[in-house]
Amino acid sequence: MATKNSDLDPGGLSRRAILKGLMGVAAGAAMPLAAHAALQSGPPARKAGTGLPPETQPEPSLDPRKNPSWEGWNNPRLGPTNGWSDASESAAWTTILNPDGLAIYHDRFYRIPESHPKHHWVMVMDTRKCVGCQACVVSCKSENNVPLGVYRTWVDVYQTGDTVPDPEGDVVLDGRRYRMDAKVVNMPKICNHCAHPPCVEVCPVKATFKRQDGIVMVDPRLCIGCGTCVNACPYDARFINPVSQVADKCTFCVERVDAGLLPACVTSCVGRARVFGDILDPNSEVSHLLARYPHSVRHPEFGTDPQVFYIGESGDISTDPDPNVQHMVFTYTSNANSNVPGGVDVI
Amino acid sequence: MDFANSTQLFGLEHVYWQLPLVAYPFLSGLVAGSFIVGSLSHVFGLKRFEPLAKMAIIVTLAFLIGAALAPLAEAWQRERFWELITRDHFPYSPLGMFIIVWIAYVILVLVEMYFLFRQDNIYLAQHGRGWRKTWHGLLTFGSRNLSEPSLKRDHTILVCLAAAGIVLAFAFHGYVGFVFGALKARPLWSSPMMPVIFLISAIVSGIAAMITVYTLIQGGLGEKPVDSDILDGLMGLMKWAIFVDLFLDLIELLTSGVRSYASLPVYRGFSAIFFSSGPLAFNYWVVQIGLLIVVLVMTFVRPLRRSLAGSNIAAFLALVSVFAMRYNTVIGAELQPKASQGLVRYTPTWFGMDSWQVVIGLFAIVVFLVSLSLLLLPWERSWTASWSNEGAAVPVLPGAAAGHAAGPKKGGTS
Repeated sequence: MATKNSDLDPGGLSRRAILKGLMGVAAGAAMPLAAHAALQSGPPARKAGTGLPPETQPEPSLDPRKNPSWEGWNNPRLGPTNGWSDASESAAWTTILNPDGLAIYHDRFYRIPESHPKHHWVMVMDTRKCVGCQACVVSCKSENNVPLGVYRTWVDVYQTGDTVPDPEGDVVLDGRRYRMDAKVVNMPKICNHCAHPPCVEVCPVKATFKRQDGIVMVDPRLCIGCGTCVNACPYDARFINPVSQVADKCTFCVERVDAGLLPACVTSCVGRARVFGDILDPNSEVSHLLARYPHSVRHPEFGTDPQVFYIGESGDISTDPDPNVQHMVFTYTSNANSNVPGGVDVI
Repeated sequence: MDFANSTQLFGLEHVYWQLPLVAYPFLSGLVAGSFIVGSLSHVFGLKRFEPLAKMAIIVTLAFLIGAALAPLAEAWQRERFWELITRDHFPYSPLGMFIIVWIAYVILVLVEMYFLFRQDNIYLAQHGRGWRKTWHGLLTFGSRNLSEPSLKRDHTILVCLAAAGIVLAFAFHGYVGFVFGALKARPLWSSPMMPVIFLISAIVSGIAAMITVYTLIQGGLGEKPVDSDILDGLMGLMKWAIFVDLFLDLIELLTSGVRSYASLPVYRGFSAIFFSSGPLAFNYWVVQIGLLIVVLVMTFVRPLRRSLAGSNIAAFLALVSVFAMRYNTVIGAELQPKASQGLVRYTPTWFGMDSWQVVIGLFAIVVFLVSLSLLLLPWERSWTASWSNEGAAVPVLPGAAAGHAAGPKKGGTS
């Protein structure tokens, strides 16, 4: 305002006078802010005494590599008494990964059925019931402390079909009527815990393994983070955890399953589209579903024998790379130029 | 936060194997290629290339160490490298197999170096000056035997080692190809051609590297001037390697770039990445294929083949072309998404993890090791003389006479 007024003044003020005016305005503007800050700084001083560091931290970086403490992986509030000291961490991981001491397999997976396992955990995605609410993604992130930018499970939303001319249609464009002859497909994606996982076999240091009950996991104490398994997974289900800097993936929430609970994504699914259970038990819900409905798996051509089954997807349930066939309306892929029909050569 | 353009975050469809993994097959290709060149005189009786033997084995060792450091530079928990030996997933994991072949190769190269430098080391252990006397005494492992039968035995051992080394060189580099070829999740990697393509371009780059190193070492530090016969011979070898390499490139193009012949995922990936508007189209058609054809033409021109500048320019172009081939193979296949659409975005960075900085650092380590060996090992007989007490007088080693006596009988020429 000050500069505007002085510009309009025909007599013309000196530059110094303008600057003085500006400073005065700035000081006036800063006063309320300072008073506000003084009020804000009051309460924490009185609250002190809980023994915990103050809750508020100065603008934490959102980049997990610059700020490894932001999600608790390396949280300074978790002291030795919380079971995460250097000495007890190794024991804690053993408890999390394999508390019952089940046999683990790094290769030759045909031995698993031969070993007569007690359980064989599978998941059924009843996509007829999936509404694409992404609650499973949120609960997985929350349960497993998955850092920003990476996902153990995600739900891609596609649209197939097209807008077609129809005299009765409800879409009016340039005086013509059209009808949306399209279908929205929600594809919950997760590690398939394959019966023949290529990611496990290629690990050079036997850090990743398949448990006797079918769960494929990574031991973060052993992984060297070489990325071979990430590249070997045909489903892009693995990633390098930017905080722990080892390979990471869905574990079917193994700590919950071992405690007799369901995986977090299953419990949070509003439409009960995700069903988890023991395929060896003929009375389990997954056995009933798979016996009753036709089902398919993602990318059967790779021969990995996935153990996550999809009901309600007729035909190909893999992503078609052609956006003209299958338009990705919602994706978690941040590094690809998805949704750009011109980016792909479609012949 | 702009997730789409951020190279900081991982996320789905991230290019996990970046520039160090491009340098990895390139460096190990130079290992295989330079070793095969070095073995030419021993195994195939090509006496012309005898001056290259010592140089080749040292360059091989330096590249071998660099080649093993490259995948470690890519690994996020590289301080756990010892697990590769203590917990090796042998023989199921391609990388687990690699470490076995690598260790065997290092042992073989060290043993071969011992026998190649034995005569000079013994001479210097007896006549060397100052610390060299102790150092070369250590390198002889106490052996002082320079008699005729022992030298003949050396020669036999060297021939056997070089022959075994060629097998290992093929296994070593073939396995590097298999590290990629074994990953069926990437349609452009999952090809039985992979080990062969890698091996042949390894030989091209190895010969090119030997031309450059020979010019630098012999031209800069050697007693005799650069022998244009050797340059000519190396260029002639490179010609045939490039022929085979281009033939394999053509097969790859036919089996992945033609929709009628290729499987759909392979065709889709190949055409989207390497054809007209693809992100690596220039890198493939101009740098990888184009430069190789230019080098092939150069190898046919006799004056260029024999000239210092001509052969070195050809060698440099061949090295650039082979590096581009590694880049196209390693990065190119990762640009094809596995679970989504479009193409994965990737721009190599200059600094930090997985950047050009790391690649330059790896090459700096190799150059450092080669330079160190210039100081510590007698590459040339004239150096042996200047390092000994006798001064500039060239020593007449009993081994030199014996070696020349044995030479014509074996090779038939010279």
